[in-house]
Amino acid sequence: MQKGFTYLLAALILLPFSLLLLLSLAEGWSFPSILPDAWTAEHWSRLFQLDGDLGQSLLLSIGISLFVATVATISGFLTSRFIAYSPFRERYLIMAYCPFVLSPVVYAACIHFFFIKMGLSGHIGGVLIGQLIIAYPFAVIICHGHWNERIRSMEQLVATLGGSRREAFQKVILPLSKGILLVCFFQCYLISWFEYGLTTLIGVGKVQTMTLKVFQYINEADIYLAALSSWLLFLPPAILLWFNKRFVFREVNVS
Amino acid sequence: MIHCERLNKRFGSEQVLEEVSFSLAERETLSVLGRSGSGKTTLLKILAGLESADEGEILLKGQRINEQSPQERGIVYLYQEALLFPHLNVFENLAFGLRLRRTPSPEVKRAVEEMLARLGLSEQASKMPYQLSGGQKQRVSFGRALIINPKVLLLDEPFGALDVETRSSMQAFLKEVSLEYQITAIFVTHDLKEALLMGDRIGYMRAGKLDIYDSKEAFVQDPRTEAQSEIEFWKRYQS
Repeated sequence: MQKGFTYLLAALILLPFSLLLLLSLAEGWSFPSILPDAWTAEHWSRLFQLDGDLGQSLLLSIGISLFVATVATISGFLTSRFIAYSPFRERYLIMAYCPFVLSPVVYAACIHFFFIKMGLSGHIGGVLIGQLIIAYPFAVIICHGHWNERIRSMEQLVATLGGSRREAFQKVILPLSKGILLVCFFQCYLISWFEYGLTTLIGVGKVQTMTLKVFQYINEADIYLAALSSWLLFLPPAILLWFNKRFVFREVNVS
Repeated sequence: MIHCERLNKRFGSEQVLEEVSFSLAERETLSVLGRSGSGKTTLLKILAGLESADEGEILLKGQRINEQSPQERGIVYLYQEALLFPHLNVFENLAFGLRLRRTPSPEVKRAVEEMLARLGLSEQASKMPYQLSGGQKQRVSFGRALIINPKVLLLDEPFGALDVETRSSMQAFLKEVSLEYQITAIFVTHDLKEALLMGDRIGYMRAGKLDIYDSKEAFVQDPRTEAQSEIEFWKRYQS
């Protein structure tokens, strides 16, 4: 009974993605046909064309998200440690929440002027910085809860056992923080990957990430390419979630 | 071995240590009693180099160590909790200090196996910390400190989290290894019986001031330590 319910739930979750996959492989699909009238790999072949914009957008999105997630996770982790042990931690933490008072698109509108002045508007660099302004404080907030008296005591114990701060970090803190680092990386990757409003404003449409592509194809009423780009939008986070899930669960079992 | 002269420490407006002076000879254990917040932990942390004193001097084997980092002092500070590294098994927890010193692997293996046998934990070498009992964790914690042969061992209520039975066996065990490894130690506790059992000498800390007694008898006779009232209680209880 429970197994049947699980399968039903899984089928309901996977159904929209299956439909998107079918649509991306369809040449025509008219109502009331249950399956497409004809099949084609033409839409998918656009992905592998050297001058194809779809493949470039996919690579660009992966590159931007990996960069933002990596930088935000490393800097957020280190900053959160500093904040957790600072006598002014509450003040710093309030500052970390500030970017989330406004929605990202309103926030982008507020700071766009400075990006134009610095010549960053319409450039990948501008989009990277814009997304980092959101992802970095988010990483700080996620990692902040990780630091506690127990971890601090372990750091001190390593020091009295003769280890340097670097050794304490490498041999104790990092292995203990693997789980939170993976979760933080994944969350920051998702923030960057699905970011639309801020990327549109700062990138002024010139930085064509996958999210922008989906909206572009929907606006053009090209349902087949919209389905393909939606499928591509879903795939990398799904793969990352799969690996993330495995590693995080393994961490939990070990600790 | 270790000599402290007029140590003072303030946290804001609160005077945590006031003119603390004492000497500890080699292979001697000093028990320090005192209520919570009397400054015991701060004193140990200053000796270990984890906190700095506002005033005063600490001499270790005649050498001033105030400016030395915790890594350079050779003084190990053990907490109430065993604080075993959860990602390392028992063997690697014991080997931790030796690996920091880049000790060759065969020597690490020999020393750890010897320590495991001494701790009675040879069968548990490959176990992870979460698979050990409270007493076993504390044994590993002592072993991890002893294996690097520290100049001074600072124990901050190490048995505070253990049940009465385990606590009693751990007291006997620590007394035994202290003699065997000729440890110089400061043992902080707020258990009167434990202080008398573990220490060669006893000190009592009140509001940041440390009184060291010439003998255990002098400690028991001092009404401020409340040792007499505890003895009276047990006498009354027996009769």
